[in-house]
Amino acid sequence: MAEPVPAEEAADVALGDFAEIVRRHQSMVFSTALRFLADPPAAEELAQDVFMQLHAKLNTLKSPEHVVFWLRKVTSHRCIDRLRRTGMPQVSLDDLPESAGLEFSTDVQPADPFLSRRLQQLVASLPAKARLMVILRYQEDLSAEDIAGILDMPAATVKSHLQRALAMLRDKVVRTMGEVRTDT
Amino acid sequence: MTHFEDELKDALRRQKPPDGFADRVLARAAEQDSHPAKRTWRDSWLNIFAQPIAPANLLHWATVAAVAAALVVGGVHYRNVHVQRERAQGEAAKARLLLALRIAGSKLQLAKARVDQINSAPINRREINSDQLHSDPSANQQERE
Repeated sequence: MAEPVPAEEAADVALGDFAEIVRRHQSMVFSTALRFLADPPAAEELAQDVFMQLHAKLNTLKSPEHVVFWLRKVTSHRCIDRLRRTGMPQVSLDDLPESAGLEFSTDVQPADPFLSRRLQQLVASLPAKARLMVILRYQEDLSAEDIAGILDMPAATVKSHLQRALAMLRDKVVRTMGEVRTDT
Repeated sequence: MTHFEDELKDALRRQKPPDGFADRVLARAAEQDSHPAKRTWRDSWLNIFAQPIAPANLLHWATVAAVAAALVVGGVHYRNVHVQRERAQGEAAKARLLLALRIAGSKLQLAKARVDQINSAPINRREINSDQLHSDPSANQQERE
């Protein structure tokens, strides 16, 4: 089931309860990794590594909000690091299969499954930083300022990257699916 | 938010991880607790750089900055001392060379004076003899006899 996007989701989780933290945030961490890497086994491995790092560092984190921020930040940086280390090529839009390993179980059906799948493929074809920003903005519902804090860059840079990424996505959707679906 | 952004948000809903994900993480954590990895000094130091900058890590970064500053200051100081020592050694060598040149010069002066003295004596004697030959022919005759 798609979870509601939370800002205060961990507020009542005891910091020492690692199992509860994992259960609460597994979708956030796994989903971010999956959207970025478009590779379910790699995404699970990365998500597990993030939680193992959290397990080792849990006593240094001061509050549940700090845990959420830390998880997002470490997941984002690990995604970028993994891409650099493995040298995964940018996925070309034309090379993406209809189901690029992005279709995972959600109990909520999207309004337009075809458009939804196409958008997932298009997001996966974005440059790494832009892809991560789009994921954090639209999956996690974070503001540009929050994303800037996670990625250690100015908010203005995040805004301009997001605008460019949106324009690119819109343009590709128009080219592949037509104007009708992108009206505002 | 535009309609397009709504579509994007809809497409990027969070995905559930595969079944048993949390159990696998907890099993790994339990295994890590029962067999804590032996951390070497190298791991612990390099770990400082692997952490995102957060208030809790400021002390780490301050330590790194202090060590780096100490290394830079120490390096500059060592270089200055080294340069000063080299300069002093150069000055001493220059003084020794000048002294040696001065001694060599005075010796050359002495030698030249000696050579001049030696060269001047026979010339005087030859000049005296030739004067005697031209002024007194009988003396030459006597010498021949």
